[in-house]
Amino acid sequence: MMDTQLLISGIIFGLSIGSIFFLMAIGLSLCFGLMRIISLDQLLYYSVGAFISYSIFVATGNTWIGMVGGMAAAGVVSFGVERFVYLRIYERDITFTMIASFAILIAGVGAIKYIWGLVPRPAPIPLETQVSILGTAIPVYRLMVIVISFLVYFGIWLFLNRTITGKAIRAGIEDVEHVEGLGINVYRLFTITFILAGTLSGLAGALHAPLIMVDPHMGLHVLAFVFMVVIIGGLGSIKGTLASAFIVGQVISLGSLIYAPLAQMAPFAIMLLILLIKPTGLYGSKLLKR
Amino acid sequence: MMNVFRWWWDILLAFSLLGLLGIFSPLPFAIEIIIFSIYTMGCSFLLGRVGFISFGQPAYLAVGAYATAFYLFYFGQNPYIGILIGLLSGVAVAALVGPFFVRLRSDYFALVNLALAVIMYYLMEKVLAGITHGDNGLWFLTNMSSTPVLDLTRPNQFFIFAFLVALAIWAFYKYLDDSVYGACCLATKINEDKLKFLGYSNFDIRYLAFIIANTTTALAGSLYAVYLGFVSPEITSPARCADPVVVTILGGVGTLYGPIVGAIAYTGMKDLISKFIANWELFIGLLLVFIMLAGEKGIWSTLEPILKKALFRRRILPGLQDGEGGNR
Repeated sequence: MMDTQLLISGIIFGLSIGSIFFLMAIGLSLCFGLMRIISLDQLLYYSVGAFISYSIFVATGNTWIGMVGGMAAAGVVSFGVERFVYLRIYERDITFTMIASFAILIAGVGAIKYIWGLVPRPAPIPLETQVSILGTAIPVYRLMVIVISFLVYFGIWLFLNRTITGKAIRAGIEDVEHVEGLGINVYRLFTITFILAGTLSGLAGALHAPLIMVDPHMGLHVLAFVFMVVIIGGLGSIKGTLASAFIVGQVISLGSLIYAPLAQMAPFAIMLLILLIKPTGLYGSKLLKR
Repeated sequence: MMNVFRWWWDILLAFSLLGLLGIFSPLPFAIEIIIFSIYTMGCSFLLGRVGFISFGQPAYLAVGAYATAFYLFYFGQNPYIGILIGLLSGVAVAALVGPFFVRLRSDYFALVNLALAVIMYYLMEKVLAGITHGDNGLWFLTNMSSTPVLDLTRPNQFFIFAFLVALAIWAFYKYLDDSVYGACCLATKINEDKLKFLGYSNFDIRYLAFIIANTTTALAGSLYAVYLGFVSPEITSPARCADPVVVTILGGVGTLYGPIVGAIAYTGMKDLISKFIANWELFIGLLLVFIMLAGEKGIWSTLEPILKKALFRRRILPGLQDGEGGNR
């Protein structure tokens, strides 16, 4: 039987990793649901968030300002990209926007390399304190990451269910043309959704930076896992994304406790298994066709 | 006789031009283009004919490359057998993962393939590090013995071999495009319900197409392995996942010569840019965004009608010009 302390810290680790994945995957999921684009450049906003928060920390010495700054910078960059690129290609085929987004990601990684260089840098942990749960020392920062992701989930839930804009976005996920027919400017909805997605990815990057190193390829490292989260949860579903993010997080952390290389392979096996049973993921709807 | 000639002549023309390129340009560049165009051909077939966009082609490339490398590093010395083993392992892997993948919708298919490529990277870099030597890669250039007829260990004879392989593959795909099966592939892309109504199985058609395309990719991988004499996990790195798709789009989706044109343009561009600027990723990315914004037809699809007009000097029926019919 496994050590209880190891198990508890493993579960907390899995939850915090899952929270990061959730924050990133929610952007991808919303973008697909509403605009029918697969926005690979969310991974760029993730790195932008991490790098800006790191740089602001170096300049001011305060990590919290850095995090807010990173989030804001990611939002601004995503707004720019939406204006200059996506607005022109929303109408095109999904493969087309996917390649455009990959091009943006590659260009962005190149720009980050140009500005910050290739060397990975360590970002400091804002909260050093630890609490004891059942005799296991848990870093407070990890708990905070989990709490923030749940707050974001409820925030998104309230936004989508209680505000007019949110309701319009939900209606748009069902049928964009009808929403347009009601006289709502769908392109404004697209912009709002895209900035929301970019900002959340930036938040994920800023939160993840202290747990890992900040390096230009960090977006590409999490790419596979974020995609697995989105696929398992079903494209376009927030609830599914939350569930699958925590499944993947737990599989990674508990899998690595059993056998280290399993951490990378096990989520993939789980994904294949779920796709075998349900080809559209846990909560993905069958109706969405292209 | 005339028909046979007409069937072959545009392939032969294209390849004689390619052969001239091989004579007049530096040899590594020509070999790179030929292998890259074989690599892209599989992706182009999947995207243009079956309607599947695959971001995971490097995974199958790595399968072929590593199968060849394992054989040449641990067991044998004959590069021909190595290439054959790469080909067979490509068939095996595609046949294994195919049933899971081809049932998916096109967008899920892209993401799952991308995930497969990244997993393959981890597999080769970390999990199987004992066999693959991790990041250092496998070096087996000196393990290969020289072979009779075409000596693959010498670059100029390897060029001829790669050239002949590419010619065979192009003839095969041209044959496929003209056959009933090719038409079925196009039909499953455009309207799968109707095809089902006609009594064909969408799954079977897609499965076979998946195997054909990815075997082509694996073959390109084993050619890379024999040519370079070494493989490393870099071959399936996530940063290169979009390369074949990008080249496909660049050359023109689903056209027979798109992959060659795209490969020449892309490899040339990369060589040129990386010669002057160290930071090529930024420029390639921006250039691609620009291409995406400018149009979706690609180089070959734009050139084809113009070339045809110039070569045949006759009026082509508007419907057959490029669109859905003709020798797409």
